[in-house]
Amino acid sequence: MTYEAPLEKHPVNIREVVLGEGEKAQKIGGENTFPFHSFEGSLPNPPGLALEVLDMQPENWATWALDPFKDVSSDPVEWARKGVEEYGAEILCLRLLSTDPMGMDAAPEEAAKTVRKIVDSLNIPLIVLGTGTEDKDSKVLIEVARACSGKNLLLGPVLKGNYQEIAKAALEHGHAIVAQASMDANLTKELNIALCKFFPPEKIVVDPTSSALGYGMEYTFSIIESIKQFGLVDKDKMMQMPVFADIGIECWRTKEARESAEQGILWEATTGMTFLLAGANLVVFRHPEALRLIKSMISY
Amino acid sequence: MILIGEDLNVMSNAISKAIKEHNAEPIRACVEGQAGNGMDYLDLNVGPQKKDPAQTMEWLVNTVQEFTDLPLCLDTTNTVAMEAGLKLCKKKGLVNSASGVRESMETVMPLSKKYSAALVLSVINDAGLPSDADERAGSILESLEYANELGIANEDIWIDPVLMPVGVDQRQILSYMEFIQMIPDLAPGAKSVCGLSNLSYSAPKELRGLLNRTFMVIIARYGQDAAIVSGFDEELVRLNKGEMPEIVNLIHRAMDEEDMDISALSGKEQEYVKTTQVLMGKTLYSNSWLEV
Amino acid sequence: MALKGAEIMKMLPKTNCKECGCATCFAFAMKLATGGVKLDDCPYIDPEVKAELEGAMAPPMKLVTIGAGQNAMVIGEEEVMFRHEKTFFHEPGIAVLISDKESEPDIDEKLARVKDLRFERIGNVLKVNLLALSNDSGDGGTFETLVKKAYETTDFPFILISEDTDILFSAAAMCADRRPLVYPVTNENVSASIPKLKELGLPAGVKGESLDEVIAVTSQLKDAGVEECVIDPGSRNMLDGIRDQTLIRRAALKKGFRPLGYPTMTFPCFMCRDKYEEALAASALMTKYAGIVVTSLTEKEFIFPLLVHRFNIYSDPRRPMTVEEKVYEVSQPDENSPILISTNYALDFFIVSGAIEEANIPAFLCIKDTGGIGVLAAWTSGKFTGEAIAEFFKKYDVENKVKHKKLIIPGVAKKLKDELEEELPSWEILLGPSEASDIPKFLSEEWKV
Ligand code: SF4
Repeated sequence: MTYEAPLEKHPVNIREVVLGEGEKAQKIGGENTFPFHSFEGSLPNPPGLALEVLDMQPENWATWALDPFKDVSSDPVEWARKGVEEYGAEILCLRLLSTDPMGMDAAPEEAAKTVRKIVDSLNIPLIVLGTGTEDKDSKVLIEVARACSGKNLLLGPVLKGNYQEIAKAALEHGHAIVAQASMDANLTKELNIALCKFFPPEKIVVDPTSSALGYGMEYTFSIIESIKQFGLVDKDKMMQMPVFADIGIECWRTKEARESAEQGILWEATTGMTFLLAGANLVVFRHPEALRLIKSMISY
Repeated sequence: MILIGEDLNVMSNAISKAIKEHNAEPIRACVEGQAGNGMDYLDLNVGPQKKDPAQTMEWLVNTVQEFTDLPLCLDTTNTVAMEAGLKLCKKKGLVNSASGVRESMETVMPLSKKYSAALVLSVINDAGLPSDADERAGSILESLEYANELGIANEDIWIDPVLMPVGVDQRQILSYMEFIQMIPDLAPGAKSVCGLSNLSYSAPKELRGLLNRTFMVIIARYGQDAAIVSGFDEELVRLNKGEMPEIVNLIHRAMDEEDMDISALSGKEQEYVKTTQVLMGKTLYSNSWLEV
Repeated sequence: MALKGAEIMKMLPKTNCKECGCATCFAFAMKLATGGVKLDDCPYIDPEVKAELEGAMAPPMKLVTIGAGQNAMVIGEEEVMFRHEKTFFHEPGIAVLISDKESEPDIDEKLARVKDLRFERIGNVLKVNLLALSNDSGDGGTFETLVKKAYETTDFPFILISEDTDILFSAAAMCADRRPLVYPVTNENVSASIPKLKELGLPAGVKGESLDEVIAVTSQLKDAGVEECVIDPGSRNMLDGIRDQTLIRRAALKKGFRPLGYPTMTFPCFMCRDKYEEALAASALMTKYAGIVVTSLTEKEFIFPLLVHRFNIYSDPRRPMTVEEKVYEVSQPDENSPILISTNYALDFFIVSGAIEEANIPAFLCIKDTGGIGVLAAWTSGKFTGEAIAEFFKKYDVENKVKHKKLIIPGVAKKLKDELEEELPSWEILLGPSEASDIPKFLSEEWKV
């Protein structure tokens, strides 16, 4: 028996999505093979690794999660700056927690102002996330889209119940969106079909929703793997969007991450690495050390 | 295909209320409607029926039999209710259902034997739902052996391969189709039956019928003998009776992956073709499968 | 299984004579495919066909056992590339590396520590499974001292590592009853190793600098009758490791290429700059097909995430993960603490109990067995109805655990509230939040006795 390397080629690509604008813009996706399979296909863009920033003082975070930012945690602009300048983040993910209707319920205009300030002072690719509350998010994200017109932000989560309004605003002001459907490839496809009727597919990133190590990580892992298979192997055009994983928030609420700094960082890094192996193209980390570790291990 | 109407079901609020209040009128409407549409059997689904199981089933069987001569398919997980119903069936009834789960084999199968009723036997066993065709075969062979030993012949067994919703696991549909083609070899004489509507569970309400009907045509071609179906679906009955040969033919051509110019088809024809493609696993299902 | 029932059927006599105890040849074929009967049960299969069937039915990836008795580690016989296609079957072994160059107290401490690396998680024990004992001193006596100590003070299965084939096998002979994996068997030493492997009946840890080299070695071993191998393709960085593991698994499963049809071993301990990287590389390699990962880590903070990771990736996606039905006490509740109820779907349990802990309000968490399905599905199928929960209350004497009569139910189960008000008339039923992440807020704002 002679051995011939069983390489697999796929004639299609995952779509390439651009985040941000200007010289610091970053591309994600674009690959025609499975993650890290540079031996049999092309992966033009390394995965995007984003660092999370909150727009308000975090409550109840483990000390070691807050430590890297404790001097700036009440000022989102400074927090963002430190993330970029000190911890080398090339993409930021601003979570507009202040707008949570169950919490502070800040006005859309307030939140949009913060986003604008960060965009003006840093000009690096920025993901802006609402709180997953359909009504409020659509008000907030529309306002953000308007305030940062032309900046090509990545806005999300866009859900079944609010995709029309948010996507419309994103389209009008030149932003990309995160389409979120919870843990289900069929629903992911359904939302993409609905969006693509009026929204450009190359401005969509999909979020199957993330779960942390020990808390359902394997579900997210398998759903990402199957989304990628539908896209590459079955050549399903509606499943060729890059995949987004928002893991920091999930990992740092586990009691294991709160037990010790080492374990917390590994909890997050392990979850992130696992999703990258499944095919995630954009991962949001909370702890700069977890992000740094992953970056150093996957550079190719 | 033998059609079993499913609409006498406690999951329906109207039926559940009628049963609770022993009000025969809504039952009559439901029975006569399904019978009039051409059902061959009627399924009486009383669910787990924890309260007054025997009395409830007795009333329902008697009431239904006042309005129809069709044979009945008794659908309950409560063996007391099952036995009470079987005692009253005027025609050879159908026990719905036993499975390979030990407890079910020991409690439900003997009822089928005792009352000479036919038996729906599902492939579920103690390990849960088998995940592919071979596992289904392995599971059914074991429960068949048990049933045969009890004296229930293959001719009285209706095998239920368990149809999963297309929105839950599309691959299960393919292994379903693979499996029903094995049944004549696995269990000569036995029939196949399924809960057809489960296929479209979680699909948009207005599109459920389309999925169910298309799938009925597909599995009829593979030798499916019977299905529990929505008793009021007229198009389903017409398809089954061979009154819509063009659609059946079109579905068959789509199954054979024949090249066809979809845009030349009528809207309805296009829908059947797209649905066939999804059910044959050619494209990933989504609730908006008709829109691509 | 490599062959489907329908394919086996084609090779059977098709007479349906029933002598095998099956009603038809087809039934026999199906049972054969799922392991219910043996090929020998049919007396009419032509011997040539039988040999062919045996070959074709052998799993494309060998099952390998390392160790003996209840701690034996079984790896291999995987069937899929992606866990959602079926499941991954045999958890990879996590082996802790101990060198004979380490000082005696260091070794003692390490052995003690490794024994403690055991954790309980939803009724499963997560633990390190192997010791990789490495002869770095180059001295036979020193190595034997290490092996002897590990043999006497632990009951782990071993991987024995030595570049010196004589030292390797004399150490192996000392603990042959524990069935160690001997490593490396290479192009250079394979001829010398074969008689000893056969004499001692041991699995071979095959190392090659390339897959071609590996294939040459496994082929020789196979011809000589050594059936159990574990392959190290020589990769010494994570991304190369992932590449090699992927190609090996693909060649075995998708091409039926037998010389690579074995589980693999990898060495994150030699791939990394620090402990964090090593832990990450180990988990990545387990995700991408390693049968064994050898690590130098022994600290709980580094090993525990790895164990949970393995547990997650190797959980069976076809079956819901469940926890035991009972009333759980989260952070020592008392008679004034809230009572919540949920299903035994493991994720629900984790998320709800985690949320209670986060709230910092001790509580009783009633977990009702629903066969591992979530709240709404369980309600529909009658396993999480008012009646079912009332029975649960009786069975576990929930009434007497607290002084109040307030039960918090999952927010998605609106209909359940009415049912419970009927079934448990003396109780006040509180509809909790729909999202578990809102539980802390709910408890701190709404909970008053
Ligand atoms: S003994 Fe052999 S020939 Fe006879 S039925 Fe069984 S498989 Fe068929």
